[in-house]
Amino acid sequence: MATPATITIEDVESSSPDMTVKIVKFSGQLDESNVDEKANMVYELIEKNPKNLNLIFDFAELEYMNSKSIGYLTDWYGKVYENGGKIVVAQTRPNILDILQVVGLTQLIKTFPTIDEAKFAISHSA
Amino acid sequence: MNDIATTIKNNKKEPIKITITLPTHAYFMSGIRDFTLSLIRNTSDFSEQWAYRFQSVVDELCNNAIEHGSSAGQEIKITFVNSPGESIEIIVEDSGTGEGTMKAEEIQKIVDERSKKDAEMHEIRGRGLAKIVKEWTDELSFTDKPDGGIMVKVKKYLGDVKSQELTQSLSFAGDQTHIVI
Repeated sequence: MATPATITIEDVESSSPDMTVKIVKFSGQLDESNVDEKANMVYELIEKNPKNLNLIFDFAELEYMNSKSIGYLTDWYGKVYENGGKIVVAQTRPNILDILQVVGLTQLIKTFPTIDEAKFAISHSA
Repeated sequence: MNDIATTIKNNKKEPIKITITLPTHAYFMSGIRDFTLSLIRNTSDFSEQWAYRFQSVVDELCNNAIEHGSSAGQEIKITFVNSPGESIEIIVEDSGTGEGTMKAEEIQKIVDERSKKDAEMHEIRGRGLAKIVKEWTDELSFTDKPDGGIMVKVKKYLGDVKSQELTQSLSFAGDQTHIVI
């Protein structure tokens, strides 16, 4: 028994052949009942793309995230960053942004109001 | 808002106490989060932002009780004490049968360490009580229950929230070109 949540991954055309860009779309509620299982999808994605992986996390349909999911987000960021990549967050709901701010994560991971702005930031940071 | 919720919200004198007992399983937390959101929205003077914040506070307290305090097949108890116009108090109790059970003093020490401004957090876990619960409540205490287990009590005063919101709105108004009287 787990709270409904989904993660879908889509490719984005990259401005550089050395750079992989993907949108990771989260929906539903990430909580203690499902977060360990869902986190594995992102770890697999990182393992398959060990270098210069740039991820745009689309949080438009993410309704809730608990402290453990924030812990995973921090860990993913560390793994991606140390291999020349980046994670940015887009379309965050106010309650999710509030949680990211209270744990200090917005100082580490940039947040953007739209996917287009996130894409622009990724493509101009290479 | 329905009539009962309106009556509760307008009753500024009597605290409303609601106690829920849950089986030790994270699956039930989504329902408790929904309940918390509705309770704060409909029966308190706290804002929408705070309704969501209490949702996180309750979730983190219960997850901690489920993971460390009560083993599978046991229960945890959540009590909401809503003093309309004044404060919200949330009390979460575990049975002390979980694998990682700690004494109140030990948990307090961990939370104090992790909630320091310069505390570095490299683990997946450890932000729930120390960052979310601690930051979004005015009082946080841990007590050993006589029959085993821990009782965690948090309290948030409405007065602090309202004065912060007023400060923010005055600060915002200060950026404008008009004079706010």
